[in-house]
Amino acid sequence: MGKLAEYAFVAGTLSTFLALVGYVFYALSGVRAARMAAAGVPMTTGGIGFTSGPRTASIGHYATLLGGLSVFAIAASLVLRTIATGHGPFSNMYEFSIAFAFGILCAYYWFERKYRQRVLGLLALPVALALLAYAATVPASIEPLVPALQNNMLLTVHVATAIVAYGSFTIAFAAALLYLIQPATGRWGLPKPAVLDEIGYRAIVIGFPFLTLTVVLGAVWADTAWGTYWSWDPKETASLVTWLIYGAYLHARVVRGWRGNKAALLLLVGFGATLLTYFGNLFFGGLHSYSGLAGV
Amino acid sequence: MAHTTRTQNLAAGTLPSGAGAVPAAASALPAGGLPTTGATGRTGALDSALDRLWGLLTSMKFGLLLILAFAAFGLVGTLLIQMPAGVADDPQARAGWLAEVRPKYGGWTGILDQLQFFTIFQSVWLRAIGALLAASTIACTLHRIPGTWRTMTKPHVNVGPTFFEHAPQHEQMTFHRAPADVLAAAEQVLKRRHYRTVTLDDGTVRIYADRNHWQPWAGIAGHFSIVVILAGAMVGSMWGFRDSQFMLAEGATSAVPTEPGLSIRLNSFKDTYYPDTGAPSDYVSDVVLTRDGQTVAQQQVRVNEPLRYGDVSFYQAFFGPAAVVTVKDAKGATLYSAGVPLAWTSNNGGNKVGTFSLPGQNVAVWVVATTGPDDPSVKPGQVAIELYASDTGNPIVQKSIDQGTPTTIENLTYTFERETKYTGLNVAKDPGTPIVWFGCFLLVVGFMVRLFVPYRRIWGQLASRPDGGSSLSVAAVGRRDSDLDAEFTSLVTDIRQAVTGPARS
Ligand code: HEM
Repeated sequence: MGKLAEYAFVAGTLSTFLALVGYVFYALSGVRAARMAAAGVPMTTGGIGFTSGPRTASIGHYATLLGGLSVFAIAASLVLRTIATGHGPFSNMYEFSIAFAFGILCAYYWFERKYRQRVLGLLALPVALALLAYAATVPASIEPLVPALQNNMLLTVHVATAIVAYGSFTIAFAAALLYLIQPATGRWGLPKPAVLDEIGYRAIVIGFPFLTLTVVLGAVWADTAWGTYWSWDPKETASLVTWLIYGAYLHARVVRGWRGNKAALLLLVGFGATLLTYFGNLFFGGLHSYSGLAGV
Repeated sequence: MAHTTRTQNLAAGTLPSGAGAVPAAASALPAGGLPTTGATGRTGALDSALDRLWGLLTSMKFGLLLILAFAAFGLVGTLLIQMPAGVADDPQARAGWLAEVRPKYGGWTGILDQLQFFTIFQSVWLRAIGALLAASTIACTLHRIPGTWRTMTKPHVNVGPTFFEHAPQHEQMTFHRAPADVLAAAEQVLKRRHYRTVTLDDGTVRIYADRNHWQPWAGIAGHFSIVVILAGAMVGSMWGFRDSQFMLAEGATSAVPTEPGLSIRLNSFKDTYYPDTGAPSDYVSDVVLTRDGQTVAQQQVRVNEPLRYGDVSFYQAFFGPAAVVTVKDAKGATLYSAGVPLAWTSNNGGNKVGTFSLPGQNVAVWVVATTGPDDPSVKPGQVAIELYASDTGNPIVQKSIDQGTPTTIENLTYTFERETKYTGLNVAKDPGTPIVWFGCFLLVVGFMVRLFVPYRRIWGQLASRPDGGSSLSVAAVGRRDSDLDAEFTSLVTDIRQAVTGPARS
């Protein structure tokens, strides 16, 4: 079962990579199409070959299919791994990185279905791919759970809500980055800034309540395992900082002088904080760095 | 003093427009633009200062900056090593700790320490920003209540004609049917879509419709919950207690601090490991809780399974070896016989050590375990007994004793009976926890509802036309958003169809 999970993981990683290649071609053809349209070249089928409208759409279509395949492969990998270990994907960086990548892919495809802005995939998929590649470099062996982690139900839900949040934040990051690199009138055939602004907001509308739930569940776990719901442990604090930044973003959208660029900037900062929270336990070495008991 | 005057004025109703200074009433007005004309003199100056403060606290921009400032200091706290609890209050431990981190931060160490950056979560900075943020959140929450209440109970129905041209979503329709028919059809469509409608007829029919009109309360609840959580945390820090160094050897019974009559006994402690990797698999303390001699609870306390009794909880925190030591006086009466947790480590040699004191004797006894065959002073099968004067801390005598052999030291007979284990429990009583959990519940549900449930408001204006038909303008407000656009478009389509009939559309 563990072996099968790894095969599914490899298949998912490969198809994510291929999907990303597809999105790169899709975006390039979009840029060329935009340039030609600006230069007055008629956008008919055939004629300009590779970059013509229908052709562009079909590359995007294949990219989407490949990405969909990786969603299924990684879902299968997570399910098989859960069966093999008997617990959710929360016990090490290998499991959690795959789960994070899964969250990003799911969030991306949800947004692609809703907004049809495939260019976002160009930024979202590399993040997912980087996490999968990172997972490939860390030990994948199945270790039994240390006592502190023996709270399967709670921690599985905790990780599930976290990946919904982190996946959404990645989409918001992608939208904000595309927003910031172009003028208000748009450029390079990228999605219009107004659309990107809405996508960023919608992503936070989903991600923020889920991050809230994640932090609260983390506090519930800390209270059962450590006897205190809050101890300013670096990982806890980093998640609070992330939460505050996205909270600030929700306000920024309605404060004059903060909408637009500054709000988008907060999304980039928020994503930085998300990554810090995520990779934090690698270098914080906090009070209880999940090794088990503090005094042992 | 002046504040009291203000309240009295209000109660007596003698201050006609000064009422604008009262928070709840002020919220109807835009923050900062509150009329203070009725008040004069010192009270007026104070009122306007309070108004300005209120304006600041309810300002979204100020709130935004506070949130970001809090986040920035929190970030410093995650990136800089923080002093462990207990070190900060002990000057000696503090100096030692600072010396330890000095290689890492160099010349900055002193500055960072002066700025309280090593104890940032207890620093004046975070306390001040936190207090302001709490005040601002309370102010914002209160500020929004009256307006939200009014919008819900008495929505603004008549919005004026220009609104229908400038609203982000707007549409004008003309029909060949009489206004009454159009109204009936439109109301039916709205009802089917779970809108509530309010109409007003002043020659022109004015329509207001909203869906999920209670939704803004969820946002208020979400903000209020932050205050609830902070209140719960304060209750905990004022009336709770925590002993994270509560140690108990196997077979020993100990009174629970601050809980009169409550004692806990450790039957056994067991630590188990996975055979293949050697990683810990379980830590279990089998404990019995007694109140005035009656057993009130018995449980295997594990890391994720604390023993909860009332609002006192016992958590498995750590464990270690213990030495059972018996002390008898010259007459053979037992002064002490219990497991001594060897919970500390000696500075020189790294031996595990533990301590206890003897009732009625000015002596603190330290028990030192061996580190193994290479230990020069304590051989395997021995412990060293070190005696210190309790008052001065001066050493009296030191002697290694063999297991099972009663040995007389300073008129008392010490026996090292055997080795055993102790468990380290974290004993906590936190009456604020239920408040915190209630706050968390409100927080999650409040913001989920506020952000997931759409709140829609639509206005309409229906006038008759000279030809007997009617013209209907509808408009919605909200930021341009594709969901709102889609809903508005489909609503307009539905109304059209309902009026003209699907067959003809
Ligand atoms: C840590 C503190 C805070 C958090 C986590 C927070 C969170 C949020 C969230 C998630 C929203 C979006 C949901 C909604 O619209 O109700 C929101 C909206 C809002 N917040 Fe806060 N808030 C905080 C403090 C404040 C403060 C201090 C103020 C006032 C200065 C404030 C005023 C508002 C207002 C007026 C809205 C409505 C914005 C709109 O029209 O969409 N909040 N807040």
